[in-house]
Amino acid sequence: MNIPKQPLSHKILKYTLTSAIIFASLWSAAGLEITIARIIDAPRQIGILVGAMFPLDTSQEAFDRIIPKVFESLFIAWAGTVIGAIFSFPISFLAAHNVAAGAVSRITKQILNAIRAFPELILAFVFLPITGLGAFTGTLALGIHSIGTLGKLSSEVIEGIDEGPLEAIKSSGGSKINELIFGVIPQVMPTITSYWLYRFEINLRASAVLGVIGAGGVGQELINQLRFRDFPRAGTVLICTIVLVLVADAISASIRNRIIKGKVAKS
Amino acid sequence: MTNIPKKPPPSYLVTIGIPFAILFTLFSFQRVGFNLQDFTENLANRAIVTDPLFNPKWSWAWENTADALVETVQIAILASIVGCAFALPLSFYASRATNLNKYSYFLYKSFLNLVRTIPDLFWAMLFTVAVGIGPFAGVLALIMFSLAIMGKLLSETIDSIDPGPMEAAKATGSSHNQTVFTSALPQVLPNFTAYFLYIFELCIRASVILGLVGAGGVGRIIETQRIFLRFDRISPIIVIILVVVILIEQFSVWIRKRIL
Repeated sequence: MNIPKQPLSHKILKYTLTSAIIFASLWSAAGLEITIARIIDAPRQIGILVGAMFPLDTSQEAFDRIIPKVFESLFIAWAGTVIGAIFSFPISFLAAHNVAAGAVSRITKQILNAIRAFPELILAFVFLPITGLGAFTGTLALGIHSIGTLGKLSSEVIEGIDEGPLEAIKSSGGSKINELIFGVIPQVMPTITSYWLYRFEINLRASAVLGVIGAGGVGQELINQLRFRDFPRAGTVLICTIVLVLVADAISASIRNRIIKGKVAKS
Repeated sequence: MTNIPKKPPPSYLVTIGIPFAILFTLFSFQRVGFNLQDFTENLANRAIVTDPLFNPKWSWAWENTADALVETVQIAILASIVGCAFALPLSFYASRATNLNKYSYFLYKSFLNLVRTIPDLFWAMLFTVAVGIGPFAGVLALIMFSLAIMGKLLSETIDSIDPGPMEAAKATGSSHNQTVFTSALPQVLPNFTAYFLYIFELCIRASVILGLVGAGGVGRIIETQRIFLRFDRISPIIVIILVVVILIEQFSVWIRKRIL
């Protein structure tokens, strides 16, 4: 049979990549002092921890402590997302090069990049001395970071619009403002709204984490229980977090689907 | 008079959803203790953090963070490679296009979803308790993190592959496994590589915070310096991480151009 040969350059690329990946992992494993004995022992150790969590702590007192914290994470994530959405919306128009003037767009984009460079956790450090320990700090940190990410995504959506409707409005005598309201916003709103919801899903996970440095939410509860070695209660915290994230994800994903795909025609 | 068609009535999603969203927003703001007055009154306190933050001590950072930075990169390399290697077969089981068994498809899909719900820092906390404080816990945490992201991205890519090549392979009499290997896998490999580089970048970003709970990397230094409010020592680290991330981004753009 006559099978065409793979070109030599492909083969070379394949072997260099494979050996580079193997070499990089070995170098990393050696540097981190990860031995085979530790890898083999890890599943047993993880099993011990998981075993210690069961049976879960289902006392009334545990739920009275945990449930408000779980919901606090939800509120932080939502409020943070709303702050991000409200501020990023006008900013994204300034950052889009087909709406704003070239210089304005470039400067706004750089500002958005600068905001995104700070991880939420670092932002939370900045807000801690201003707003103290608590949920408000986490909200602001998530909100500011969301302005950066949502601003970038939204401006990219605006840059990808169809110019036709804008021309139609212009030719019928519409002003620049008319163009924005009737030409741009209806085109970009579905995608941008779905990005807001998507950001909410990400923020929900991030807000669960922020508690570790005292910025509110369920993270504080988990780290405390693990420090006090109260594993059954830590397990309960974990399960409650998982349930909240699963439910919120499912609702948000179904709304996003509905927004993007439209109403499913009844057959 | 022109005949303007009637506007269709807004859907329930709009008539009920928007007022509900506004109410929920107000409630959330109230619950998180949103208070602009306190905020403006205490705004001057930001100097505690921002003054040193914008006054970086580069010499200190160069001398003391090199080891931790290398550790961060090593954690990210190992975790993204192992996590993505595990995710590659799992994604084929978690896609409707390549897994014909409804029940095992559901099982794998749920497993990936479950891993994805637990935030990265929670994994790190759990693993530091299980296997002890140190970078090994960080590697395990980020393996779960990359496994979850790659599993989701890749299984959705496999869902939307072109069924043509698979049909062709089946028509020549190949088994299901052979079909997947010869027709589905090559279709998604370029995406796999692109996702891998993206996940590597996410791992570098994430390993900055792993140190907060004792899971190794440069976050360890950030945590100790933060406790002493030495933000002048933290900001160089943030900048260095940013440069590393940008370099990786450029590299992945270059690679993607070559393979796609």
